[in-house]
Amino acid sequence: MRRRRTAASVLLTMVALIAVACTGGNESSDTGTASTGGEPVDITMWHGYGKVIDNQGQTNFEAKSLIDLVDRYNAMDTGVHVTLDYIGSNDHALEKLTVALQGDLQPDITYQYGTSMPQLATAPGIMDLTDRVQDQGFNWDDFSEGARAAATVDGQVFAIPALIDNLAIVYNKGLFKAAGVDEPTPDWTWDDFQAAAKALTDPSEQQYGFAFPIDGSEDTVWHYDAMLWEAGGDILSADNTQAAFNSAEGVEALTTLQEMAVTDTSVFLDQQNVGKIDELFNAGKIGMLVTGPWALSSYPSVDYSVQVMPMYDGGSHATIAGPDMWVMFDNGDGRGDAAWKFMSWFTAAQQVKEDSMTSGHLPIRNSVVQEPGFLDEFDTKFPGEGLFAENLENVTKARPVITSYDQISRIMGEAVVKVMLGQAEPQAALDDAAAQVNEVLAGG
Amino acid sequence: MAVVAGSPRGAPGFARRALGSDHVAGWLFVLPAVGLVALFSIFPIAWGFVLSLQEASLLSPDRPFVGFQNYADIASDPRAVQAAVNSVYYTCLFVPTSIVISMFLAIALNQRIRLVRFYRLAVFIPVAVSTIATGVMFLWVFDANFGIANWALGKAGLGPFGWFNSPEGAMPSLAIMTVWGWLGFDTIIYLAALQGVPYELVEAAAVDGATRWSTFRNVTLPLLGPATLLLVVWSTISAVQLFDEVYFVTRGGPLGRTSVPVFYIYRLAFTNAFGFSAAGYAAALAYVLFLVILGLTLAQFWLGNRVVHYSS
Repeated sequence: MRRRRTAASVLLTMVALIAVACTGGNESSDTGTASTGGEPVDITMWHGYGKVIDNQGQTNFEAKSLIDLVDRYNAMDTGVHVTLDYIGSNDHALEKLTVALQGDLQPDITYQYGTSMPQLATAPGIMDLTDRVQDQGFNWDDFSEGARAAATVDGQVFAIPALIDNLAIVYNKGLFKAAGVDEPTPDWTWDDFQAAAKALTDPSEQQYGFAFPIDGSEDTVWHYDAMLWEAGGDILSADNTQAAFNSAEGVEALTTLQEMAVTDTSVFLDQQNVGKIDELFNAGKIGMLVTGPWALSSYPSVDYSVQVMPMYDGGSHATIAGPDMWVMFDNGDGRGDAAWKFMSWFTAAQQVKEDSMTSGHLPIRNSVVQEPGFLDEFDTKFPGEGLFAENLENVTKARPVITSYDQISRIMGEAVVKVMLGQAEPQAALDDAAAQVNEVLAGG
Repeated sequence: MAVVAGSPRGAPGFARRALGSDHVAGWLFVLPAVGLVALFSIFPIAWGFVLSLQEASLLSPDRPFVGFQNYADIASDPRAVQAAVNSVYYTCLFVPTSIVISMFLAIALNQRIRLVRFYRLAVFIPVAVSTIATGVMFLWVFDANFGIANWALGKAGLGPFGWFNSPEGAMPSLAIMTVWGWLGFDTIIYLAALQGVPYELVEAAAVDGATRWSTFRNVTLPLLGPATLLLVVWSTISAVQLFDEVYFVTRGGPLGRTSVPVFYIYRLAFTNAFGFSAAGYAAALAYVLFLVILGLTLAQFWLGNRVVHYSS
């Protein structure tokens, strides 16, 4: 609410003014000297990894990996100097960039979610990398297919993949043992999953077999997308003109969720999705999650293991990847070229491998995953992550790369939430959502 | 005064006189504040209006003017209507509850009791706690499975309630949380008003044989009128502008039941959930919201001046 805003907003204003004044000064002096050739070109890179030592006093290896690599690059004589800017959660990277663009204060490189690419492609000054990624030695095809697709808007490449994740089952081995349930295998079907979730649920202990975010955000939707693909369905028609998720396959996937959430009540439904699910899993209150490699570090108190997604009859282990991107802006004075120069070093196989071994990120380059011995080494250092790296193979589809994707995601999210809260039947909810999506697609 | 432009003798004289005048000194003193207000209030207000006439995305420089089309679209937007309904519901829950409870608390804290300063501090502390901290706390207090609220109510044989998770319960839960968070502010205003009630009047009523209740009803309550008017206006404006708690705690859900106007405007302008070029439409909604608040406030003052006869 508003009341207490005044003081805070004045303070923020002052900080913003000072910040603007400072960056303004730096930029002009740097670009002034850059053209003389003596001093390196200074470029700014926005990231969301935080500080090397986090607020709990733990080492944040994601931040450490990034900062170490950039420091090493800055120490080399390349003519480019990179300044890192921590801008808070990546969830807000698009909003922050939007605001920065109003004042022409955009960075040279910024971390962004892959799903924002169609919007970003229209931003003024964004670098079209279509020709550059074909450079000798850059080896663009080495990035996974799903990630390359997400970086490409209407045939033009606007980003370099920064991170790739996927979803798999993470389960609490202790709870399986206590309930006498067999642990998940690669042959598991969703029926097995559902039965296990039911067996692991114990209302007297407030223990749930499964947990699902129902805030209606993209987090809700991509969990459903994976199941939709496993059942053999699709989000949109091949030419992205019609909704396809209200097919029999889509209904099958949503019915599984409905039965677990409404009939079996074996699912902890997280309406807010601000970390409760991870806390509860780590507290031993949830048997299985469908989540990604980033979450594993949140479970120090639980003996967990990882398994690929269950199948439907005749379906696949399909999973979904959430590729994140490095987006570049050409801010003149040779800074665009400098940004490209840095990024081609930063995303080369050697650096990708190093980053993976420090931060636990899945390698964004296939050649690193396929390097003999890499997977063993990786899984030893980060238990469970080896499976996620192998699971990249099961990433065969990407979400549609179209401007209206966020709208489609919102509409699908609303349908999934409605069904899981027991307020609608799968077929009716999906048909209603499909009608809305078709309207959006027809409207351009 | 007539100063000829460029006059060699006139200009220095004018400058000296102007610099020496009190007006200039005054303006210099307020200049930093005026500059900040202009930059961060007046400019955005004007820019927002221009934006409301455009079909605009904040990301793209391509912003065609569409006249008042954005305003015309509002009436046929079911989500705007839903946000308005939610907002009215919330305001009806929040304003009367917080005013009644805070008046009661202020009267209690105006008694001569031991540790009264401690109690006053305790009542005010939630106001000083950040909204996000309050949100995190209530997420757990009102957790349907693990929350202390359901546990305590369960002991009394009630519930379990879904709180933020249930479509019907989410808005009342938000209201409880915000009433708790802002009660201290209202209480302080009432406390100040109560301490301004002249003791002679209370004494005179006692001499005339009035009971405590009729003293309160006929002496104290009317004298609290101006404070009540202030709080009603103030709380209504805050309630209509509800955002932080919704953004953090419910994200407008479940099923849009807590989607309030400012939150909807935020999603339109800064996310792409409702289409790519919605920033202009969002600005139009923001302007309508401003007019609604202005109208509400004027109506409340007009009504208040008819009901409130005492000024403190």
